[in-house]
Amino acid sequence: MKKMTLISLIAFGSLSMIGTASASDAVCGLDNGLLATGESIKVGGIYGNAAPGDFSAATDAAGAYFKCVNENGGIHGRPIEYMVENDQWNPELAAQAAAKLVDDEAVVAMVGNSSFVEMSVNAPMYAENGIMAMASGCAVSECFESSNIVSTNQGPLSSSVGAAIYAIEELGATNISCIGMAIPSVGNWSCGAVQSYMESKGLNASFVLLNPAAPDVNSALLEAMASGADSMLVNLPAGLGIAFLNAAEEQGIADAYSWTSSTPLYDASVPKALGSYWSGKLFISAELTTIDGAGPDNQNWLKVMDAYANADDPRDTFAQSGYLSAKYFVKTMNQMAPEKVNDRAAVTEAIQGINGYTSDLMCGPYYVGKADRHMPNHAGMIVEVRDEAFHVVRDCFEYDGPYFQPILEAEKALGLR
Amino acid sequence: MLALLVFIFIPVLAGGQWVKIFISTGCFILAAAGVAFMYARLGMVSLGQIALMGIGGWVMLRMNHAFDLPFEINLAVAGAVTLVFGWLLAMPALKMRGLYLALITLMAAGGLEVIFSTFRFPNGGEGFWGVMPSVADPFRRPTLASSDADYLRYIILAIVVGFLIIELHMRTAPGRAWAMIRRSEAAAYASGVNVVYYKAWAFGLAGFLAGISGGLLAGGLGLLDPATFRASESIMLFALMIVGGSRGWLGVLIAAALYRIVPALFNDWGIDADISLIIFGAALLHAIITAPNGLSGQLIDLFSKESKRT
Repeated sequence: MKKMTLISLIAFGSLSMIGTASASDAVCGLDNGLLATGESIKVGGIYGNAAPGDFSAATDAAGAYFKCVNENGGIHGRPIEYMVENDQWNPELAAQAAAKLVDDEAVVAMVGNSSFVEMSVNAPMYAENGIMAMASGCAVSECFESSNIVSTNQGPLSSSVGAAIYAIEELGATNISCIGMAIPSVGNWSCGAVQSYMESKGLNASFVLLNPAAPDVNSALLEAMASGADSMLVNLPAGLGIAFLNAAEEQGIADAYSWTSSTPLYDASVPKALGSYWSGKLFISAELTTIDGAGPDNQNWLKVMDAYANADDPRDTFAQSGYLSAKYFVKTMNQMAPEKVNDRAAVTEAIQGINGYTSDLMCGPYYVGKADRHMPNHAGMIVEVRDEAFHVVRDCFEYDGPYFQPILEAEKALGLR
Repeated sequence: MLALLVFIFIPVLAGGQWVKIFISTGCFILAAAGVAFMYARLGMVSLGQIALMGIGGWVMLRMNHAFDLPFEINLAVAGAVTLVFGWLLAMPALKMRGLYLALITLMAAGGLEVIFSTFRFPNGGEGFWGVMPSVADPFRRPTLASSDADYLRYIILAIVVGFLIIELHMRTAPGRAWAMIRRSEAAAYASGVNVVYYKAWAFGLAGFLAGISGGLLAGGLGLLDPATFRASESIMLFALMIVGGSRGWLGVLIAAALYRIVPALFNDWGIDADISLIIFGAALLHAIITAPNGLSGQLIDLFSKESKRT
């Protein structure tokens, strides 16, 4: 009888284990179905959530992946403690959040950072403290032009140049007006790169910048029309981009110009918000693969989100980006010697050693390297807004232009080209 | 004594996050001191103090990136330039009081808000505005206060000096002139007080304090953002000064603590910091209805009653 009871208990226990392991068929980290135990490894993340928008999708997705990893062997069996702070788009709060995570909590790395503000404020601090930030939602130049931040997303510059390339090659644009925000490290930087690209091809470009404190889309539209452009490149946050396109719709000028946009308008709500007027007329640069992409990694991201994220957490490009940063971080940590994973300097060195990671989420390889700038993601795809949905019209293609020359040379040095 | 204790212990005991919070709070203590003395001593409502801080911060950053001068010289220039702006602000305001004066200062703050958000703050770029679309050049803190903890001590010293400057004014001719102007401008004229001169002096002093506080705030982060200097922030600081009490240093400390420490506490606890606005609203009602001298007045009354009992 005792033997029977013991066998029953073992059978029940085994079934329970199978039940735990198969709660989701998402693949995470070591993927051994074992719960991580012992001293946790502290990892930080900063996002911005206040007006002008909520950028928490990346840290939500990174958090979901870390939860999945903690149920699948963790990092060498140890769990990740993911500590997330909201900078509320406020530089002082961003600095305080970084001080809390980097100084007080002694996190070994930052993962999934996603903000307009955080990187500008904290880039020097990360460098001084020898910590790497594997960001996911970079929107400012500082994020791509500093030694200790590397992002999986493209940011407005790459995304806009990608849209400009498509406008020239497929829509016959010869003179582009780039409409951006009057923030030097955002609008001037990204629209300036579009202008440099156009000039490098012997074409014309100009830019119209909106004051973020008082954006006036009608006057911006009139200024863009007066520039003599034959193509409009909308490089604005989604809400403002929709307002700008609505102003153009009121003027009835959709057919007078070709229309492209950087990634912010690649948002599930946009096609319906724009309506049938823009069907077949707007082409948007997508930084990562499409949300419903059939690739195994994109499908795994969706499974992780379904199993470990909240139901209302966004399934968007930033979430894909957060997942990817977290995945690459965990992969790197599991390749380190177990006794080194709590040593920030060793973790930083390991992250800087990342070279040639690939995923169907990203068009090109992901790498870090020791450099004063990082922009591994500079190839993307183009989607068209048609019948209130997105349709891929150009698959992965690489961007070129003067801005990317030093990046391409760095990739050659790393043996990626 | 309190300043000495704070000077010694706070930078040691507080963690990195709280040292940064106290640095920010310290800067706003100086700015609030300027608004408080204008209101308490002259009855003038200035709703442009944080915009003036922005000017001080702009000059500080511009000086830092343009010249290789010591921090203190840059700070003095920031204070002096903001003092001049304070005077400029005083020009149309000299014949006004109450609501009209408040509106003039608020409009000036609104104008500066547009300028800051359009042209941004210098970060090492070229040209007059000094803005470049990339990582900001390094900011040079004082030689003796390069770490956050030491920089907090530096700010505590600056606050003490700022309070002493105000106190010195209170005890000398300007203080007496301001007291007369507050009671009656006509009587002050009749007594031979140069009302225009002393009003402009008050605006200049408040501007100087705002400039110094803006310069110190620039040193806290090494860069500044226009969102910090919105006109609405000046209104908030003034309202919190009413809550804290405008007649002494304790009220100013309470105002700055409410302005910066309460939201930070909420953030740290994972509570939405905007809830602090509800608390501020309730505190303002409380102060207006029951505490003409603010929370500091109530605290002082409480302690004096307790000491009489014992």
